[in-house]
Amino acid sequence: MSEKLVLRVEPQLTALEKIDAAAEGFGRAANWPEALAFQIRLVLEEAVINVVKHGYGDGERAGCRQEIEISISSEAGNLTIEISDGGRAFNPLEDGPEPDLDAALEDRPVGGLGLHLMRTLMDTMRYRRSDGRNHLTLVKRTDG
Amino acid sequence: MEINTERMEGVLVAKAWARIDGANARDFEKAMKGAIGKSDGAVVIDFEDLSYISSAGLRALLVIAKNLQNRDAAFAICALADPVRAVFEISGFDKIIAIHSTTAEALAAVGGSA
Repeated sequence: MSEKLVLRVEPQLTALEKIDAAAEGFGRAANWPEALAFQIRLVLEEAVINVVKHGYGDGERAGCRQEIEISISSEAGNLTIEISDGGRAFNPLEDGPEPDLDAALEDRPVGGLGLHLMRTLMDTMRYRRSDGRNHLTLVKRTDG
Repeated sequence: MEINTERMEGVLVAKAWARIDGANARDFEKAMKGAIGKSDGAVVIDFEDLSYISSAGLRALLVIAKNLQNRDAAFAICALADPVRAVFEISGFDKIIAIHSTTAEALAAVGGSA
């Protein structure tokens, strides 16, 4: 059995609450375990924040009306998140180095953890730019 | 946005709310900076009621931890729910911030006077 959730939101941080509530409801209906629901909500936030900050930012795309489209689908042991947006070209998979997790407190840079969390929690990440839009696909295997 | 704080055994104990995310992490950071007084030598944040944290929340905590370290103040957090604790571990934050199971343990670790 497959299920799918599709959301369209304005490219603003205020959309996070709506996305989170929708993902939580979708996960509850699909009987996701608590840990999986937390991870998916977290990955969604990290991915959407990247899009809002880098793809739209405060610059020339500010006020851009092109929505972010988010879909979550569950099928055959794979949970797939797809995020597309009309912001400037931005490949989050190339957004900076992996953080040094063993660095001392004084040496840990502030920031740079969002991509690390996404990489760790999802099994596959793909990015493509087409038709003037960014497309990010994130897959997590859920059949153990 | 508000945080509840009290001073127990000479330690500033702050209790955080339901979620620290990209929308409110800056408010959390500001509230903590406002709550920590110049004479506070030890700070504990109780996360018992925290059900969600993202990288934005970790970022704010890192700023707070660095500030406290720079003035030689002790810092610990406690009572993390399992999914929240997992985020700290994945990010390596369990190696740079002291995490305890209970407020009492955290107070003892930062030198509470009880």
